Amino acid sequence: METSTQTMQSYLTFRLAEELFATNVSKVLEILEIPKITRVPRSPVFMRGVINLRGSVLPVIDARTKFGLSETKDTVDSCIMVLEIKMQEQTITIGAVVDAVQEVMEITPADILPAPSIGSKYRGEFIEGMVKSDERFIMVLDLDKVLSTEDANILQQMSDAA
Amino acid sequence: MDHLQQSFITEAEELLSDLESVLLKFGMDLTNKESVEAIFRVMHSLKGSAGMFGFSQVSALTHDMETIFDSIREGHATISQEIIDITLRSVDHLKKIIHDRDLVNPSNCKVHHELLATINAITGSCADSGNKVTAPVSHQKRTYYIHCKPSQEIFKTGNNPLYFIDDLAALGASVVIADMNEVPLINDITPDLCYTTFETILVTTKSVEEIEGVFLFVKDSCEIVIEKISDADLLSISSFETQMHALRLDACSVGFKTIKSLAAQIETKSLKEVVAPSSVKEVQVASIRVASEKLDELMNLISELVTSQARLSLLAEQNQIPELSNLSENMEKITRRLRDNAFNICLIPLQTLETRFQRLVRDLSKELKKEIDFITEGVETELDKSIIEKISDPILHILRNCVDHGIELQEERLKKGKKESGTIVMKAFHSGTSVYIQIKDDGGGIDPEKIKAKAISKGIIAEEATLSKEDAINLIFTAGFSTAEKITGVSGRGVGMDIVKRNIESIHGEVTLESTLHQGTTISIKLPLTLSIIDGMLVKIGGSDYILPLSSVDKCFEIKTEKLQAGLSQKVALDGTLLPVFNLREAFNEQNEKPQHTQIIKIHYDEFPVCITVDSVIGEYQAVMKPLTGLYRSRDDFSGATILGDGSVALVMDTSKLIRSLTLKVQASLQ
Repeated sequence: METSTQTMQSYLTFRLAEELFATNVSKVLEILEIPKITRVPRSPVFMRGVINLRGSVLPVIDARTKFGLSETKDTVDSCIMVLEIKMQEQTITIGAVVDAVQEVMEITPADILPAPSIGSKYRGEFIEGMVKSDERFIMVLDLDKVLSTEDANILQQMSDAA
Repeated sequence: MDHLQQSFITEAEELLSDLESVLLKFGMDLTNKESVEAIFRVMHSLKGSAGMFGFSQVSALTHDMETIFDSIREGHATISQEIIDITLRSVDHLKKIIHDRDLVNPSNCKVHHELLATINAITGSCADSGNKVTAPVSHQKRTYYIHCKPSQEIFKTGNNPLYFIDDLAALGASVVIADMNEVPLINDITPDLCYTTFETILVTTKSVEEIEGVFLFVKDSCEIVIEKISDADLLSISSFETQMHALRLDACSVGFKTIKSLAAQIETKSLKEVVAPSSVKEVQVASIRVASEKLDELMNLISELVTSQARLSLLAEQNQIPELSNLSENMEKITRRLRDNAFNICLIPLQTLETRFQRLVRDLSKELKKEIDFITEGVETELDKSIIEKISDPILHILRNCVDHGIELQEERLKKGKKESGTIVMKAFHSGTSVYIQIKDDGGGIDPEKIKAKAISKGIIAEEATLSKEDAINLIFTAGFSTAEKITGVSGRGVGMDIVKRNIESIHGEVTLESTLHQGTTISIKLPLTLSIIDGMLVKIGGSDYILPLSSVDKCFEIKTEKLQAGLSQKVALDGTLLPVFNLREAFNEQNEKPQHTQIIKIHYDEFPVCITVDSVIGEYQAVMKPLTGLYRSRDDFSGATILGDGSVALVMDTSKLIRSLTLKVQASLQ
């Protein structure tokens, strides 16, 4: 019994355009409605700006543009997932705008299939694998890799050069 | 028990740092009796608590040190730099062994025994020389008995005994007893004769000779006896004083013996009482210690309160309910005061770091065999604790550089015709909303040519580069630069000034350097008063709100938007001069509709007069600074963000850095 609880893990699924994604719940601190987002001038497109999270200033990225999907307007279903991720040895808190949050589901790591390396229209480096559920495929994301070192460097250069 | 020991360690660390600072003070003024008392007292409490918590090694070492200072206190031994040195070394050692109670670490154990041996040697020699030391003719108060019987004829010589009494009273506290037994009945009095004898109890720091001096011209016409009653100030003991005043009323001679015995009685009884209160008085608690996390938490809460207050004010304004407006205004006043108070609590004087600086200069100059006077001025200047925490290392580094590279060796100084000992002055002062810390040495200064040559050899600049003297000197702030001819253990590893500069900039400070060859170097650090709350001006650009620090705003002008040209920068005639103006709508790439009028704001910028444009000025705003974290951390054109009354976020501009980066951008586009 104990082994099964150890191996079963909870994943939160969310939607971007028509695709379903999942991420380990341990990475998600909370889910918010979209408040007014303050744009930070001279930033890359995928960075939406900053919001007030109970008195702290939280940077927010747009998951759609980050993943190379087309930009759309926010809808009533759109929300911000507050995530805790690792970037360059540091843990940072960041918000990500997604089109909708679906549900929490239990997944056994053994059920995660390796992602097909060709034919994927998404940038592959942050996809941990695929899970089949109700005849649909859900992409499991490794959020720590979503904001890569490359991005951090681009940001650094932008502020240096700008 | 662990918990108790932990609290002992905290206490001991505090006592040791006190001890260190008094020792350093004492080292500069060896005649200061108060320092000896203070040192002795600290050692005594340390010994006591160490013994109580089972730190027997700490207790033993402290005991031996205490013995030295006890004999100094008693005047049996004289203080020397040697004693100060050994005591400072012991303090360093104690700092280690409070974490290594049983001397498990062999090196600690070795040092411990060495120190004990050295101290014992000193105490031994103290005891030997003890008797030879003469009683110091210091400022100690003594009590004298003076009997003065003027001859009857004294008035005829033009003298008046009352004048002597006035003169005596001028030497110190006194009680005068007049003996009028010899005054005859009124019928028999010859008015020009003197019948009265005076007895005076005088407490003074002056010697017997000086008291005799009062009677210099009447030695022959008066009977004078001057005796010492006691080495203490008897008149400060209230019971003695009252008795003396009582005797005075009797108006008859008391005699030296009576007073002496009375004095002896009272002295033994109350001397202890006199000593005790003076030591109690200084231990009085004037402040309490609070964990700094608690203060951080308090500041956070206050910031939230200020933010909520802004929201309440907005709500009151929108609703126009008189009671609500009243309440909101009242709340605003209280919040403001609370904020100022809390802010004040977080200010720490620079003094707290002074000991570390003193110690560094002292130790380092000994090691390098240089003689250096370290003078501090304005160390009572207060800074936010978060700044104090971060400023310590950079200053230590600068001081290290001053001692190592700045001040020359003694022979060299003499050759240059300078004073043998070098001087380093650390001066702190307020100016506007900033605090300046200047560190100035009268050493060799920086040779721009040397710097240039070094920079070329290190490949930092190209060989043919032409640099002004200032630019050359500023090269030392470049990463990977080290000018010391040889690398010493002290400084010169090439990770110096660039780190200093970066650390200071990380707390929104600035560092500048001025140097004259052979005359010395001055390094100035400019720091903001606080990092947490700033006075700002709320402005709108495009759809977003921004805060400009009020300290950087010089003047505002209004201009019709159509008069502005397209493009990032242009020149506009304002106040009769042509000023460069940066269009922030362009810089920030704002697309939405342009307003009819544009505000041009003239900014205080170090290098040249410059303006920026904003769509509208909303008003003054107290901005609680929130750091930009995560992905925005590296953005330095915005020093932070703040939360507005409606809960949205406004970015706080760092105008200097923004203008610098815009200037670079314009220059790049021109090339």
